[in-house]
Amino acid sequence: MDLALQLLFTGIGIGSVYALVALGFVLIFRATNVVNFAQGEFSMLAAFMMVVFTLKLGLPYWLAFIMALVGMAAVGAVFNLAVYYPLRHRTYLPVIISTIGASIFLANGMLALHGPEPEVLEGWFETPGFLVGPVYVDSQYLLIIGVTAILVVLQYWFFEHTLLGKKLQATSQDKEMAALLGIPVAAMIMVTFVYSAVIGGIAGILVAPVLFVSIGMGAAIALKAFAATIIGGFGDVTGAIIGGLALGVIETFGAAYISVPYKDGFAFLVLIAFLIFRPRGIFGERVAEKA
Amino acid sequence: MSLLELKSIVVRYGEIEAVEGISLIVDEGEVVTLLGSNGAGKSTTLRAISGLEKPISGDILFEGQSIVGLKPEEIVRRGIAQVPEGRRIFPGLSVRENIMLGASNRKGLKTSAIRREADEMFDLFPDIRRFADALGWTLSGGQQQMVAVARGLMAKPRILLLDEPSLGLAPVIVQAVFAIIAEIRRRGTTVLLVEQNARMGLSVADRGYVLETGKLVLSGTPTQLWSNEEIRAAYLGGRTAAAHA
Repeated sequence: MDLALQLLFTGIGIGSVYALVALGFVLIFRATNVVNFAQGEFSMLAAFMMVVFTLKLGLPYWLAFIMALVGMAAVGAVFNLAVYYPLRHRTYLPVIISTIGASIFLANGMLALHGPEPEVLEGWFETPGFLVGPVYVDSQYLLIIGVTAILVVLQYWFFEHTLLGKKLQATSQDKEMAALLGIPVAAMIMVTFVYSAVIGGIAGILVAPVLFVSIGMGAAIALKAFAATIIGGFGDVTGAIIGGLALGVIETFGAAYISVPYKDGFAFLVLIAFLIFRPRGIFGERVAEKA
Repeated sequence: MSLLELKSIVVRYGEIEAVEGISLIVDEGEVVTLLGSNGAGKSTTLRAISGLEKPISGDILFEGQSIVGLKPEEIVRRGIAQVPEGRRIFPGLSVRENIMLGASNRKGLKTSAIRREADEMFDLFPDIRRFADALGWTLSGGQQQMVAVARGLMAKPRILLLDEPSLGLAPVIVQAVFAIIAEIRRRGTTVLLVEQNARMGLSVADRGYVLETGKLVLSGTPTQLWSNEEIRAAYLGGRTAAAHA
């Protein structure tokens, strides 16, 4: 029982990272109808920015964090202008290929700039963790869960209770109609890309002390997050969060009780099961169903 | 100077000319109807006015200025609002939110002011008041049409373009929708109404144009259009309507 509680905590911790990256997938998918295959690279870039700002430049952690977020906002804006915007009137296929190209470019660009050695990023806290009853609470995991919870609440408030949030939703539901009402569609899509890059970046910075900071970390996280979005139901925000958390818990329990080397396998086993038995996911496509 | 003037505009989808040189005018305070059967080019004409399609030749003047090439967002900011075919309610937003977003073309409004205006819209559309917090997709076609028109009016347009508001609605609902168009007209908003249902279109209009396969074939007052026997038979379904009456 104690072990199960311990695993649940760790699982929710790693699942929160998947959930954040999955949110990025969903938001861009809803705004552009295209999966952004470079979403994982946002996490990798932000983690490397943190390494450069804290280890190489010796900046305080909080300042490095803010600078990395500003950097990611810029990455999101440039990404939109270079990868999506020129192809916005095309079908989904050229855009998908464009995001795959961007993913390869970003990973290999970082490889050329930095080299293949992984880096170690310190956690935010001095104390690595503490005991709560039988459960060892790793402070980095606690931070991940806390930040994810705050972001999810803020995002919910923003989308449900502000006019800008409603305009973003309207844009994702029907771009042409949004334009007819005078909603600046291009600006709304820009906001979406910037925000998605920032939350992808936050996920990368949060998970970096748990993993190594490496060129391949983006692809590894993105693959899990992508599986999480499918399990949750593509295009659904709640689904992305639930899917991410579920995947984190499943793979942690699978690793502990069944097999550590097959840890990554469990996530994809669940994904395959969903694709066969419930391809639209837990929350998928509720709106389309009624038509 | 007319409020809106189309000067022989040509719109093409690929190789097909959907609109082949249409000219028409709408004056301030008028309700003008554009009639014709399916595929005659009515919707394409409205899409061109709103900037969703770009004419390959001809000009569209609003208050004497060309609006060809402007983005849809810019055109609605100038005061041309469109309620498109199929209503296009945002399915995942509530009725009140849908209506509130109609004011997106007006700058510097507080959210609270927009909300108040949206709630005032329910005086004009009392049937949808009780659905204010329901999601758009849960409404019936007629209710969605009410929401779409309310959303269009929130733009405070100089001219409202209505694309087939009667499409797919039960006759009793069509009556209700046209009663609202009559009310909009009474309040002085200029309307360009596209209709397949000529009887309804002409019942609220000051003037009408008849469109056939991308070309204008006739224009005049409702009385003039009704009195043309050939036109009644061919485009307005006059004989069939009379036979059913």
